[in-house]
Amino acid sequence: MAHRLEITLKKDLFDPEGEGVRRKAAAYFGLRIDRVRTVQVLTIDAPLTEAQLEHIRTEVFTNPVIQVSSFAPLPEPFDWVVWVGFRPGVRDNPGATAAEAIADSLGVRLPPDAAAYTSRRYCIQAPNLDRADVDRIAGELLANDIIQQWRIFAPGDWDPQRGIGIIIPKVILDHTPTVATVPIDSDAELGAISDSRSLALNPNDIPVIRAYFRDPAVQEARRAVGLDDPTDVELEYISQARSDHCNHNTFRGRFHYRDLATGEAETVDNLFKTCIEAPTLALKARKDWVVSVLWDNAGAGRLDADHYYVITGETHNSPSNMEAYGGAITGIVGVYRDPLGTGKGAKLVMGAYGYCVGPRDYAGDLKPRLHPRRLLDGVIEGVRDGGNKSGIPTPFGQVLFHPGYLGKCLVFVTALGLMPARVAGGPAEEKTTTAGDLVIMCGGRVGKDGIHGVTASSEVFSEHTPAGHVQIGDPYTQKKMHDFLLEARDAGLIRFVTDNGGGGLSSSVGESARYSNGALIDLEKVPLKYAGLDQWEIWVSESQERMTVAVAPEDIEAFMTLSRRHAVESTVIGRYTDTGKLHIRYEGRTCAYVDLSLLESGFPQWAFDAEWQPPEQRGLHEPVLGEPTDYDGLLLALLARPNICAKNWIARQYDHEVQGTSVVKPLIGARRDVPADAAVIRPVLTGSRGLVFTQALIPQYSAIDAYHMTGCTIDEAVRRIVAAGGDPAHIGGVDNFCWPNIQYDAQNNPDGRFKAAQLVRACKALRENCLAYGIPLLSGKDSMYVDGHLPGRFGERHKVSALETLQFSAVSVIDDVTRCVTMDLKTDGDIVYVLGLTRAELGASEYYELFGEIGCRVPEARAEAFLPLYQALARAIAEGLVASAHCVYRGGLGIHLPLTAIGGRLGMTVDLDRVPAEGPLRPDHLLFSESAGRLIVSVDPARRSAFEKLCAGLPVAAVGTVTADPVLKIRAIGREVVRLPVERLVEAWKKPFGDLI
Amino acid sequence: MSTIPIDALVLTGYGLNCDYETAHALSLAGARPHRVHINALIDGEVSLARFQITVFGGGFSWGDDHGAGVVQAVRMKTKIGDQLLAFVARGSLVMGICNGFQVLVNLGLLPGLNGDYSRRCVALTHNDCGNFRDDWVHLAVAAETPCVFTRGLERLELPIRHGEGKFVADRDTLSRIEARGQVVLRYADASGRPAAGAFPANPNGSLNDIAGICDPSGRIFGLMPHPEAFHHWTNHPDWTRLREPLRRAGKTLPAESTPGVRIFENAVGYLRAA
Repeated sequence: MAHRLEITLKKDLFDPEGEGVRRKAAAYFGLRIDRVRTVQVLTIDAPLTEAQLEHIRTEVFTNPVIQVSSFAPLPEPFDWVVWVGFRPGVRDNPGATAAEAIADSLGVRLPPDAAAYTSRRYCIQAPNLDRADVDRIAGELLANDIIQQWRIFAPGDWDPQRGIGIIIPKVILDHTPTVATVPIDSDAELGAISDSRSLALNPNDIPVIRAYFRDPAVQEARRAVGLDDPTDVELEYISQARSDHCNHNTFRGRFHYRDLATGEAETVDNLFKTCIEAPTLALKARKDWVVSVLWDNAGAGRLDADHYYVITGETHNSPSNMEAYGGAITGIVGVYRDPLGTGKGAKLVMGAYGYCVGPRDYAGDLKPRLHPRRLLDGVIEGVRDGGNKSGIPTPFGQVLFHPGYLGKCLVFVTALGLMPARVAGGPAEEKTTTAGDLVIMCGGRVGKDGIHGVTASSEVFSEHTPAGHVQIGDPYTQKKMHDFLLEARDAGLIRFVTDNGGGGLSSSVGESARYSNGALIDLEKVPLKYAGLDQWEIWVSESQERMTVAVAPEDIEAFMTLSRRHAVESTVIGRYTDTGKLHIRYEGRTCAYVDLSLLESGFPQWAFDAEWQPPEQRGLHEPVLGEPTDYDGLLLALLARPNICAKNWIARQYDHEVQGTSVVKPLIGARRDVPADAAVIRPVLTGSRGLVFTQALIPQYSAIDAYHMTGCTIDEAVRRIVAAGGDPAHIGGVDNFCWPNIQYDAQNNPDGRFKAAQLVRACKALRENCLAYGIPLLSGKDSMYVDGHLPGRFGERHKVSALETLQFSAVSVIDDVTRCVTMDLKTDGDIVYVLGLTRAELGASEYYELFGEIGCRVPEARAEAFLPLYQALARAIAEGLVASAHCVYRGGLGIHLPLTAIGGRLGMTVDLDRVPAEGPLRPDHLLFSESAGRLIVSVDPARRSAFEKLCAGLPVAAVGTVTADPVLKIRAIGREVVRLPVERLVEAWKKPFGDLI
Repeated sequence: MSTIPIDALVLTGYGLNCDYETAHALSLAGARPHRVHINALIDGEVSLARFQITVFGGGFSWGDDHGAGVVQAVRMKTKIGDQLLAFVARGSLVMGICNGFQVLVNLGLLPGLNGDYSRRCVALTHNDCGNFRDDWVHLAVAAETPCVFTRGLERLELPIRHGEGKFVADRDTLSRIEARGQVVLRYADASGRPAAGAFPANPNGSLNDIAGICDPSGRIFGLMPHPEAFHHWTNHPDWTRLREPLRRAGKTLPAESTPGVRIFENAVGYLRAA
């Protein structure tokens, strides 16, 4: 028997959620609504008595001070009602905690099939809206049909007794789990079966797979365990392990690179090995702070003698593009499992984000699944809930708008953790499995989540079909597991730990079994969300919030006791062996029996043709653009551009201070409204050392050359670190490549060879700059198919590819956090310096973009020339000579001088003629060139000589003075070109998004 | 200064998350902090009886899905409600920060009018601004209040980090707690004048700018801002700006306790004097 409880705020109380809906309907669709009131609906599918129902209503689900509630529909007035609830199988976090609270407060245990489901009823007062308007509000604002269902009621449709009715989104599969075998008589046959079952086997891999299963010795061994042809469980396992996501086949591919201008050709065998692994290993040998790289879920560096930090980055692009909130929360919560699964486990200490989306005000003809505005809202909220509810600060992040991301958005998520150097007497960064260790799955349960779309396409859609391919992360369940596993670690109970992400158990068990050289798994022991999953589905499901742990048999009791204390579900699902086999059983019958060595046995390397044409050959040239006369107007227009202007509403939604470690916050300065160059945290509260973290993202330069895009991105990250006070001799990097498809296809990807060449060039620049700056790549990731096919005005479909994008994260340490520096001007009378040469490098600049131009001469990173400057600045900061330091990046001096003034709410006089420059440059070029390697620094006049002594011989010049009068005055060629009060700068800079909260 | 050990309990588990820094702030204040899982209290492994301070800290208990702090309050009231009342009755100190404040009002430990420590009569609900918000706020401390945690403090700055911090009560309750000095902290502007409801000085739309209240005895204190997140001068958003004049005068950052830690020191000092 199900019961439906409706809860709403008392009449006289303001309803912020309803008000948000009203505001957005007006702002996004121009629809006028008078008032929206929200009713929370809790549908309880459990056998409870009337007394029990009344108890939970009053004691748990209704706050007597502010709410009213009823098991009958509440009589809220409306012109329209929109009810929104989840589809079956979608993670309903509040529903799960409601069930927990019901059991707790009644002191009963609910039967296994009992559940609670949450939904919402929006009561809209808007006499002028018609049903089509309301349908738009429902489908484009309140709900996403991938995960939610909705119903619309006009007063005439509404039965006040019945209300919305009783809707129970329960998954009922009515299916007997079955293992299927797959015939392998020919390559073509296996290929066809791979396609029809969405196995996604690579055609080149098929002969290797067939050869293995046709090997007589293999066949004999299989017969002994009752197997013949490969099972679906086995092929799914092989498919997962060989996927680009898990195996990085693209980066490990062979690239035939030709420069069409010079005719030179070369073959690059394995970008990962040559451009990532080799330089990182060479640097590890030189830098004793590098603790662990290139093998674990995250890389580790030394914070101090007793603590290591770990870092990794991920993207969650495709899911976020479909369901922004769900994709983003799953992304951030997912990346948090990587540090937790690094070494014997690290505590999460920080997260960061990067969003690349289409223009927020896009009004063109293309129809992306989600409008960029809505997509961005959802992504922001997903990372907000995922980070905040995990109790992990999010003190850094960036947003970038470009039409190339209309096809697919990018959602970068980064995680940092902290581990003691030693755990239970041994090195914390090491872990292994040994034959006899138990295989334990901890955390959430397994459903049809994230399984490669097979379910959605091959089953008839019914009201009980799970909508599992898009997930919703559950930070609450994971936070409990996080706390539990760290305690288990400190008690010495963990031998090995890794997360269940892509590929689920298939990956986590498959990879951890390689250490012991085997595993025996009993799949029926895996706890399920609902019955009826096939064996292969249990094996590859990507249901979230799960870790796989190896525990010695003698420790299992203590481990399970601790698990219960933390209210975390842990289940022994098998044991590690040394048989060389991955052996999976279901109720005693073998359903997989594969040699672990199969995956190392000669699968063919992927191959790509890469053809480079230099920008001049592609027809790019500098625009013919005369000098402007209205510099004030130009500067204000640039400050208000979406990629320059303030986006403070995002940072303020993110808890950036939990854990009490905050040193440099995301928004700083006199009014705490200007973004910092880097975030600094002090993760060990009893210590003085800080972690300095930053990211850079300048994909615009790829329009000219991804080689220079990469160089400049890395340089910007290095400069940001140095500007905040980080140690330039200790910088760890995380490379996160997001690239459009690089496999040439005459019809579908005619410029694939060019995009492949861009990737080769980017990787070369990565290698060169990491070696030059001394940056080992502690972690990295790639996402290779950032393209979308969007319907246009006439039903035609357009392929939209993203810019070749690299997000580069950098982490450093500072010995004493009290020496950190921020970018805001501090004191009038201070001297303003520009460090580094400005060149005529305006290609792909914000300035050119303002006029719809690209140009040709893109900024170049010159690491060898820049590094002495950075070292001098680092010394000046360490000696306390610097009052403020800020990098010059997107927009050039013309943007970043004003930002330092806004930061301090102080004025500044600057003479552009004194700016160190290569050759005579026009004032607009001096202001808006985006040359790399430059910083703006302010110094107390009393420290002038000490500072200048450190900078002797370097391109450093005093260009102006900080003034108490809050006006920015810029002179060039003997005349004043800019005179703007700081408040006008602020106004322009905040105009686009200043109203958002 | 006496050296009697003061044992402080900091709750953990079920999505709570400010336990490490709360323990750190307590230890800076001279107490001996103990991070204890809620279930360890419930299953009896740890008894409240050995502590003099209990801190209900920040976080998202049970995901805060059904009104912040509600489910935690239900669980604790159901399982160890009597122990909590006994703890309060013997003169110990209770502090609720953010989510912990929400738990205290749902338990009824606050405002504790007429000696009734189990009735819900005030609420902390969704911010008027419609969103979670992290920002530093100015706080004015009531001139006359029984609160033992804020002695010697008139004004301070602390961070708020919540989505449900709007203080709501009916007029009668409000006037009673105001009359008894139970409204300890109010959101204010930089000069210390009450924010008068203006955003963002009052970040959530709290009635009468209320940011923190105590019970009539002053020994139970709940507040939305996070004192434990200001345990070091570099936690302050303006610290690099405060440092600059000091540096030029040849000085370093202040050596004395931060205002956040002073709140915990007041608690320890009260217990030592008691």
